[in-house]
Amino acid sequence: MGTIELLMQGFAVALSPESIMFALIGAILGTLIGALPGLGPANGVAILIPLAFSLGLSPTSSLILLTSVYAGAMYGGRISSILLNIPGDEPAMMTCLDGYPMAVKGKAAEALATSAIASFIGSFIATIGLVILAPILAKFALKFGPAEYFALFALAFATLGGITGKNQFKTLIAAALGLMIATVGIDISSGVQRFTYNSLHLFEGIDFLIAIVGLFAISELFFFLEQHAGDGLKQVALNKLKLTAKDILFVLPASLRGALLGFVSGVLPGAGASLGSFVSYTLEKKVSDTGEFGKGDPRGVAAPEAGNNGAASGALVPMLTLGVPGSGTTAVLLAMLISLNVNPGPMLFQQSPDLVWGVIAALFVGNLVLLLLNIPMVGVFVKLLSIPPKYLMPIVTLIASVGIFSITGSAIDLYFMVGFGIMGYVLRKVEIPLVPVILGMLLGPEMEKNLRHALVLSDGDWTVLWSSGLSIGLWVVALAGLILPMVFGKVLRSKMKRSKDSSAA
Amino acid sequence: MRITDRVFGVLLLILAVTYGYEATKFPIPFGGQESVGPETFPILLSIILAIGSIYMIVKPDEDAKWPAVSMLIELGIVCLVLVLFAFGLEYVGFVLSATPAVAFLCWRMGATPGKSLLTGAITSVVIYVLFTRVLELALPSGILGL
Repeated sequence: MGTIELLMQGFAVALSPESIMFALIGAILGTLIGALPGLGPANGVAILIPLAFSLGLSPTSSLILLTSVYAGAMYGGRISSILLNIPGDEPAMMTCLDGYPMAVKGKAAEALATSAIASFIGSFIATIGLVILAPILAKFALKFGPAEYFALFALAFATLGGITGKNQFKTLIAAALGLMIATVGIDISSGVQRFTYNSLHLFEGIDFLIAIVGLFAISELFFFLEQHAGDGLKQVALNKLKLTAKDILFVLPASLRGALLGFVSGVLPGAGASLGSFVSYTLEKKVSDTGEFGKGDPRGVAAPEAGNNGAASGALVPMLTLGVPGSGTTAVLLAMLISLNVNPGPMLFQQSPDLVWGVIAALFVGNLVLLLLNIPMVGVFVKLLSIPPKYLMPIVTLIASVGIFSITGSAIDLYFMVGFGIMGYVLRKVEIPLVPVILGMLLGPEMEKNLRHALVLSDGDWTVLWSSGLSIGLWVVALAGLILPMVFGKVLRSKMKRSKDSSAA
Repeated sequence: MRITDRVFGVLLLILAVTYGYEATKFPIPFGGQESVGPETFPILLSIILAIGSIYMIVKPDEDAKWPAVSMLIELGIVCLVLVLFAFGLEYVGFVLSATPAVAFLCWRMGATPGKSLLTGAITSVVIYVLFTRVLELALPSGILGL
């Protein structure tokens, strides 16, 4: 069957009343999660997975719900960038540059609407890119043997720090820690107990959902407590929206350019959404700056937003086809798939095409829902932003705990959650990134399985890992991903910092 | 000062060595020794962690800003409250263990005691009713027996 037919079938799934309802709920929840300070997309999706899981939703419904949450969170992130000058997550940093000045000038509503439209264009174009590219990549990935997969996983870790990564060795440490946690439990292929210390609870290993919620949400709570950030921040008031078709046409070219650049950097390993929005902004500034950039040019809002959302959808390409996520949030989406017993990878496109294309169609529907929802309802979301964190964070913590408790109905999981919270707090203090830890826990079993398959086939000869042209290529990219940031990372980071500082001044 | 990274580097190195050593002690799996066993991958990991931690010791980054001791104690108490909440779930039930936990967190984040208690009570009851009645997810009712 051709891609178009499959996509149409996907739309048939995504446009059923039930799916639209879940898409709507997901979009609203996602926007809220993205907008709330200190939560962020990865956190939000992580908290919702165990809940969706324990409510007994069907895989397709949960996927549609959580993909919409994912898309919504990307939308929501820009609200705090524009109104508070605080990026909800790192990729939203560039949106602050022109978004906040616009808001200060009394054009907050226009800034929000512009970014909503740009986000929509970004996601829309990138989802089309996903439709075209994903099946090709999936077909190509069928050539992969165990050795290639092992190299691919290594590549995922090596490039996770991204080109802007600070200390590559700390990414390495984080990945090793995550993989180590994944080895706890009964070894699947030999039945040997590893690091269980005869505790029955550890036989099945440690659930990565507990780790995700602990590392992200609970450690965030500790940071809020430490910084006494309970009162929230002063935000710019919202004005009445005056947006004409001319304004939209004005930002259209910027959005299109941003979307394409974002998509490309989302697909590429190691580039990610941060680089996507950065490159989009810088290019747009080069192309069309008339001295207004950094002082509230709508195109300076549109370009990075389109880039950011384009990259978010682009990151789904390697995630769905290879099972290798490129960012924190896609890692959490991978966690969701694995807990639904769906194993992403090239086989996914052959074994459950209805599911994959349903999700892709859900992305289209979700984005449209978001656009329609966001322009009239932005006032409601802004109101919710003003709930001070001192009430919000405890409530979120409680909901997260309920989710974790519902996985097995045992308090031991909650003790582990607190433990991971402490670990997350300490790791963040030492500046060891958390995403590789999560990714290690997620990919650990597969990575080990592939290593063992490869070595068993070669009878213990390690050179099999780099004996085919394809695997050598993957290793080279992995090495480059590890070494290049040490050379160029400093320059790029100072550039990003400078453009932020100069706009603040 | 660049002491934080050094201290954690040493701790991680100890972890790497212990973990790797434990891995060599795994029992031989049923069916005999093969070229790759359950210990191969863990040993590889312990080497990677060791390399990373040695780098941290040799080339440490700038120190992070650690909070004052009083704040660390407070965070410790928060952890204790969360653990007590988990412990209390099975004995006194969801509402009675969640109310004080949420109230305590609100209070420590800067809300007034009265409002904290109110938030705690309302959230716990609402979430309890929402999850047990509407979403049909079992939460322990405990001694209230609702």
